[in-house]
Amino acid sequence: MYWVSIVTEAGVFAILALGLDLVWGWCGDFDLAFYGYLALGSYMTFVLSIGKPTPPVQYILGWRLPVLLAMVIADLAVVLLAAIIGAIALRNLREIYFAVTTLGAVSALYLIVENYTPLFDGYNGVYGLINPGQAALNLTYNGYRILFAVVVLGLLLLAYLLVQRLSRSPFGRMLRAVRDDERAAAAYGRAVFWAKYRGYLFGAALAGLAGGLFAIFISAFNPSAWTPQELLVIYAAILVGGRGNPRGVIAGVFVVYIGFIELTRYLPAPASRPEFGPGLRQVLIGLLIILMLRFRPEGIFRERPGADHEPKGRAGDTV
Amino acid sequence: MSTTLLEIEGLTKSFGGLVAVRDCSFTIPGGQVTGLIGPNGAGKSTVVDLVSGFGQPDSGSIRLAGEQLIGRRPDAISRLGLIRTFQTPREWPNLTVMDNVMLARRRFADESLWRSATRARRIRRSEAADRATVRDILRRFGLYELRNERAARLSGGQKRLLEFARIAAAEPRLIILDEPMGGVNPVLGTRIGEAVTQFAAEGRAVIVVEHNLPFIEKTSDQVVVMDLGEVIATGPFAGLRDNPRVVDAYLGMDMSHE
Repeated sequence: MYWVSIVTEAGVFAILALGLDLVWGWCGDFDLAFYGYLALGSYMTFVLSIGKPTPPVQYILGWRLPVLLAMVIADLAVVLLAAIIGAIALRNLREIYFAVTTLGAVSALYLIVENYTPLFDGYNGVYGLINPGQAALNLTYNGYRILFAVVVLGLLLLAYLLVQRLSRSPFGRMLRAVRDDERAAAAYGRAVFWAKYRGYLFGAALAGLAGGLFAIFISAFNPSAWTPQELLVIYAAILVGGRGNPRGVIAGVFVVYIGFIELTRYLPAPASRPEFGPGLRQVLIGLLIILMLRFRPEGIFRERPGADHEPKGRAGDTV
Repeated sequence: MSTTLLEIEGLTKSFGGLVAVRDCSFTIPGGQVTGLIGPNGAGKSTVVDLVSGFGQPDSGSIRLAGEQLIGRRPDAISRLGLIRTFQTPREWPNLTVMDNVMLARRRFADESLWRSATRARRIRRSEAADRATVRDILRRFGLYELRNERAARLSGGQKRLLEFARIAAAEPRLIILDEPMGGVNPVLGTRIGEAVTQFAAEGRAVIVVEHNLPFIEKTSDQVVVMDLGEVIATGPFAGLRDNPRVVDAYLGMDMSHE
C-alpha cells in the first residue's frame, strides 16, 4: 500500500507539473504563485464537500456537495484567482519582476489563510474528506486507495494527452514563439498578453484539478502543506525531465518523487535530529538542479518541435 | 505613380526633453521601394517604431490604406498587413525553421485554445496547403534542407534569409526593413536586394532603413532623408547629391560611391 500511495502522490504532482510547465516551459514565465493554486483547489474542495464546521473549528461555506462537483467548483475558483493574479503580473512584468510579483501574491495569500481563521481555520487547516464514496462503491479501505490511484493515473493520462495535443498544435507553437521572442511575435500579429494569459489560466486549471485530487489523497490540508519549498521540488522535476516536453515533465516528477523523496527515506537518520532527513532531501534536490543545469540543461527529454516531412518525397533547395 | 498605401502626417515624438521626431510627413506608395535614410540619431528607427505600434507618438497621424494606426497595438497593426523587422534578426530560436515560417502564415483562427484542443485533425489537414507553400518559400531562400533544425542553429546570414522567408510567407501589404544589410556579406547582399525588389514587384510597399547607400541607390524607387528628427528631402536618390541640406546632414560624406 505504501507504493500505491507514492504512485498516487506522484500522479497528482505530475498533473500539477504539466500545468506549471505550460506556464514556465511554454510561456517562459517563472511563476512562484503556482503552488497557491493547488492549495486553493484543495481548500475549496474541502469546504464545498465536508459540511458545516463544528466549533471551535471554523471555515467558510461548509457545504455538502458531492465531491466531484466540489472539485469542479474549486477549480473554477482557482482559475478566477489566477485570472486576477495573471491580469496584474502578466501584463507588463517579465522574468524576475514577474517572479517577484507572483511571490508577493502567494505570500499574501499564505498569510491571509494562516492568520484569518474564519477562512480555512488558519494554521489548523481543514480536514475530514476521508475516502468519499467508499461506502457507495462498497470497497475496503485498501481497495478504495487502489481505485483512487487508478483514477489519478487515468486523469494524468487524459491531462497528458490533452497537453501533448496542444503542444503540437498551432496554440502551442504560438505560445512558444511568444516565449522565444515577444517583440517578434507581436510584429507577426500575436497579442502577447492574451496568449500568455490563456496559457496561464489553462495551467492554473490543471493545478486546481491537482489540488482537488490532493484533498482526497491526504484528507487534510493546512498551511504547512504548501510551503515555498514544495514548488521548488516541482520546478526541479520539470528541469530534470525536460522543460517544455510533456513526456519529460511526467518522467521528471516520477524520477524526483520516487527516486529522491522516497529513497532518501531509507537513509539512516540520527534519532536526536528528526530534521536531518527532510533537510538532506532539500540539499540533494538543490544538488540535482545544479548538476542538471551544468550537464544537461535541456533535461532528460528535450523539448522537441515536430519535424516536417515532405509528402511526395520531393527534396532539395532549388537555389 | 502607384496609389498611396501609407500616409504619415505631422508625426512628432519626444523622449523627455529630446525631440526624436518633429512634424514628419511623407507618403509611401504601394509596389515601390522607399529608402529611409539619414545619419545616426536622425529619428528613422523612432519613425519605424511609431508606424509599427512599438511606440506612441505625441501627435500626428499614420494611415495604412486609410486606417488610422495611432493608438493600436503592434499585433493589431501587423494584422492590418504590416510586417517589420528589427536591426538584428529576431527568429524564434527554439522553434524549427519550418515552424518559424509557418507562424508567419498567421492562421490566427487555428491558434485558439479550444480549436487547437478539439480540431487537431482538421487543422492538420488544412495546414497541409500552407506547409507546401512554406516549403517552396524555404527552397527559394535556400533553407529547405535546414527546415527541421532549430532556428538558433542557423548562421547570421541564414537568420537574415529566414527573416525574408517569414516576410514572404506573411504576404503583407507593407514591409519595413530596419537595416537589412547589417553584418551582411556581398553575396548575401545581392540576394537580399533581389528579395526586396521582388517584394515590390508583387505589389507590396517596402520601406528600407539603411546606412548602406549603394544598396539604397540600387533598390529604391524613392528616398526619404531625415536629419535631427525632420524630413529634409524626398524624391529619387539621384537628386540628392545636389541637395545642400542632404549633403550638409551627411557632413560632406561622398554620396557618389564610385
